[in-house]
Amino acid sequence: MPDFDAKKVAEIHQHLHSHLPSEPALRVKALETLLVDKGLVNPQTIDAWIEAYTEEIGPKRGARVVAKAWTDPEFRKRLMQDAPAAIDELGYLGKATAHLKVVENTDQVHNLVVCTLCSCYPFSILGIAPAWYKAAAYRSRAVRDPRGVLSEFGVDIDDQVEVRVWDSTAELRYLVMPQRPAGTEGMSEDELAELVTRNSMIGTDRDLGLE
Amino acid sequence: MDSIHDLGGKQGYGPIDIDDDGGPFHENWEGREWGIAQCARTPGITIDWWRHCRELIMPVDYLARPYFDSWAQTDFSTYIEAGWMTLQEVASGKAQSDGGGHGQPPAAMSLQQVLQEDRSHAFRFDAEIDTPPAFAVGQRVVTAKHGHAGHTRLPQYARGCVGTIHACNGAHVFPDLSAEGTEIHQHCYNVMFSAAELWPEASGSRDKVFLDLWESYLSEA
Repeated sequence: MPDFDAKKVAEIHQHLHSHLPSEPALRVKALETLLVDKGLVNPQTIDAWIEAYTEEIGPKRGARVVAKAWTDPEFRKRLMQDAPAAIDELGYLGKATAHLKVVENTDQVHNLVVCTLCSCYPFSILGIAPAWYKAAAYRSRAVRDPRGVLSEFGVDIDDQVEVRVWDSTAELRYLVMPQRPAGTEGMSEDELAELVTRNSMIGTDRDLGLE
Repeated sequence: MDSIHDLGGKQGYGPIDIDDDGGPFHENWEGREWGIAQCARTPGITIDWWRHCRELIMPVDYLARPYFDSWAQTDFSTYIEAGWMTLQEVASGKAQSDGGGHGQPPAAMSLQQVLQEDRSHAFRFDAEIDTPPAFAVGQRVVTAKHGHAGHTRLPQYARGCVGTIHACNGAHVFPDLSAEGTEIHQHCYNVMFSAAELWPEASGSRDKVFLDLWESYLSEA
């Protein structure tokens, strides 16, 4: 059980600063070795978690949710009202999505998601967050200069469009619903899902192309 | 706690490195750390205590070390603090006791079992409470001027600012106390701030920032 002793943890961090090897791979190896030697972890379970988030759980799930919402108005309604229940229909409910909210882009509104205090992210539908999402440059600037951030991603937002930044610092998580591109009327859900980029579901991409 | 982790609105971090190959892990050790963080949690730990232990990393390390490396350091600190391992063991790399793990590894989980486990990690943080919400949608509120000295989820950039209640999220576990081992539920609201309220350079902007904030961070405006 933790003692919830913050002063003690601050001291531990000072010791770790001086006593851990500098190379991250060696630090993580040391951590795993101690856990395995003590019988606290099975390394094959670590393998399975890596496989799960490499092969099974990732932004393809989010793209599937978006494509289904584009083609099925009833699903879209359920998704907007109760996103956890709607993604559960597809078997995607899981880590960090029990309080999911979907925010829709329109001609007048663009949504952008960040976590300025750590790096909160809806794991079970988007997988592991990209490096930039977890970096200080994005976390510091997304709330203050969202249009500048978007232009670094090659997204220029018209002055008439309102930018809404969702700083997800509580247990709610946000998924951006990008707009369906024009000219995709005849496309199947599978084909549409291919058009949905990870960045468009975070908000650093806006106009999805047909390539 | 007013430390380096509270990055919203800070300046000087330079351009964003937007290059990304789309893969989840770029080094083998990143995946190992991800897996460790999923399957090695000390009994009684709360997500808020884990986050606070990450915030307590020395600023020089917090800013300079790679992302999953900061997770590893957070795990080390929570394991040592809870008695799973000692600083001496970490320094020597050799286990001197079983730390409560009895020296025998738990049974290996298969991919299917892990996927099932991920589903079971859809933790809910809300509950029904007797106290009615103090604020209603559309009401103007002002945020506290100062934060809590421990863990808190009221970012510095949004302190002492006027916003509008955009949604009532229900009563959620209050992070400031959850990080100290006490679980109480408190009403949590989505609060909308105009960019102009938050930033001097944003006067006239139509843009908005939305934050989920607990009732005790807020007063009537």
